[in-house]
Amino acid sequence: MDYFISLTITGVVMGFIFALMALGLTLIFSILNVINFAHGEFYMLGGYAIFLLLEAFSGVPPILMVPVAGILVAILGIVFEIAFLRPMHEDKIERPAEYAVLITFGLSFFLLNLALALWGPYPHSPPPFIEGSVKFGPIFISADRLVASGMSLLLLALLLLIINKTWLGKALRAVSQDKQAAAVVGINSEVMNTIAFALGVGLAAVSGALLASTFSVTPDVGAVPAVRSYIIIVLGGMGSIPGSIVGAIIIGLVESYGAGYFPDPSRALNYKMAYGLVIFALVLLVRPQGLFGRKEL
Amino acid sequence: MSKITNALRQPIALAALGGLVLILILPLFVQSYWLHVLITAYFYAILASSWALLAGYGGQFSFAHMAFMAIGAYVGGLVAIHLNVPLIASILIGTLAAGLAGLIIGALTLRFKATYLALFTIAFSEILRITIRAEAQITRGDRGLKLTPLFPDSISRVPDYYVLAGLLILCLAFMYWLIQSRVGLFLRAIREDEVAAAARGVDVVRYKVLVFVLTSMIAGIAGAVFANYVTIITPNIMVLPQMGLVIAMAIIGGVESLIAAAIGAILIQISLELLREFGAWRMVIFGALLIVTLRFASSGLLTTIFNRIFKLGPKAELRKGTDGGATDDGT
Repeated sequence: MDYFISLTITGVVMGFIFALMALGLTLIFSILNVINFAHGEFYMLGGYAIFLLLEAFSGVPPILMVPVAGILVAILGIVFEIAFLRPMHEDKIERPAEYAVLITFGLSFFLLNLALALWGPYPHSPPPFIEGSVKFGPIFISADRLVASGMSLLLLALLLLIINKTWLGKALRAVSQDKQAAAVVGINSEVMNTIAFALGVGLAAVSGALLASTFSVTPDVGAVPAVRSYIIIVLGGMGSIPGSIVGAIIIGLVESYGAGYFPDPSRALNYKMAYGLVIFALVLLVRPQGLFGRKEL
Repeated sequence: MSKITNALRQPIALAALGGLVLILILPLFVQSYWLHVLITAYFYAILASSWALLAGYGGQFSFAHMAFMAIGAYVGGLVAIHLNVPLIASILIGTLAAGLAGLIIGALTLRFKATYLALFTIAFSEILRITIRAEAQITRGDRGLKLTPLFPDSISRVPDYYVLAGLLILCLAFMYWLIQSRVGLFLRAIREDEVAAAARGVDVVRYKVLVFVLTSMIAGIAGAVFANYVTIITPNIMVLPQMGLVIAMAIIGGVESLIAAAIGAILIQISLELLREFGAWRMVIFGALLIVTLRFASSGLLTTIFNRIFKLGPKAELRKGTDGGATDDGT
């Protein structure tokens, strides 16, 4: 029973971190109606950003560089959005839905290879936020991961506050519900698209920066977190903010129990993701709109 | 339909005929090393053109094409090693296994919007790769599964060359037959307007699944044959950047024409060889080309250049006309 509780705590701790990245994807999807297939590469860039920042400014506490990394990557996101996604909403592209899939996947291919060319395939590890680990029953969780989880929780709260209580949040929600109606009341949906994309990829970059010291950064480090985020948003319901948070915690728990109770511990970690695929298939079979889904498929 | 097939028949088909002759006589002039490059190029050409059939004709974006290729290679290899199945039978079993995987995934996802196929296949592909790496007792993980060569007694690569070249021509011929058939007509109707196609009595999901299974099998047979040529298969062949490379080949070549996608693959594979000194930057260049092509030349970079060169005759005008017509219907 003790073991079960420890696994639960580990799962929830990871769930908050997963939620941050998945929420970025949800934000982009609900405003731009685009699945960002380069989400993992923005996560990866967040990792490299914090590594390079901490090399350049070695005296600074690492945690302070997390938001800086996020902002730098978000700027890159703004450039991409204006250059390649905005034309889609200006009717310059035939078959915009197909274009959206391909252009974001193309960006992912480009960024991954760019990282490989610039920094090579070898892992880069920034220094941890704090050393040591904390004991929960029979399981140790590194203090670093707890910091990452705490930061994620803080950012999630901040984001929910922005979305629900500020003018910007209201404008974003308006665009997500009805573009034309939003335009009638004077909301520029193109600006909202850019803001949502920047926020979304910024969140991916922050997740990448938060986990950079735990998992070290390689050009392909974003693939697994990205796939996990796709599973989370389908489980939670595409475009649903509460859905992506609840979905993330469920996936965190499933991975934690799955790894903890797998009979062969040497392979357990490799199979964590496989449970996600089973969940994905079950959602499609049983409840394709996801837990909190509202839109038609 | 006849408009589109006519357009396809025009300048590209002429080049295809020349290309066919070229493919058959090339081993007379080319050294063994470049034969290897060409064999690899044909392997990618099969993958890129079958992906183009799925994406450019069907509007379905699968990121699991390399995964189906790997299923063909691994299942074929495993039955040959553990059950002593002869080579050709093992390749066929691998192909069927890829088709079965395609059937399951297609039936699961193709009822929904295209995004779900993209999301599920990217997850499937990555998770299958992780599983193959983890199950090292069966698959030998990153060390790779050793397979019997296609021609154990031959030192020359010429027989392998003709096998891959023949497979490419066969696959292209099959796919052209498919798109000229009723299935191809339905496929295009579904892409232009799924609801209208369904209203006219097209069993949308069944045809989408059928084409998905067939292209999965093409990827599977390419994988099984190529793995037996290189005699080793590792999970690295199915990483997402490899999938990205195949997509880049199809898009840069021209995703709405099977031949253009195949030529794109062959030219890019040869360029990768010629640009060796640029190392990892080669892929950055092709990544950038992919993005630029998508944004500014959605019918393909090579197709666009090709049409520019041959725009003199009335045929190019005809093609332009049909292009415009198609987009008007689409929007």
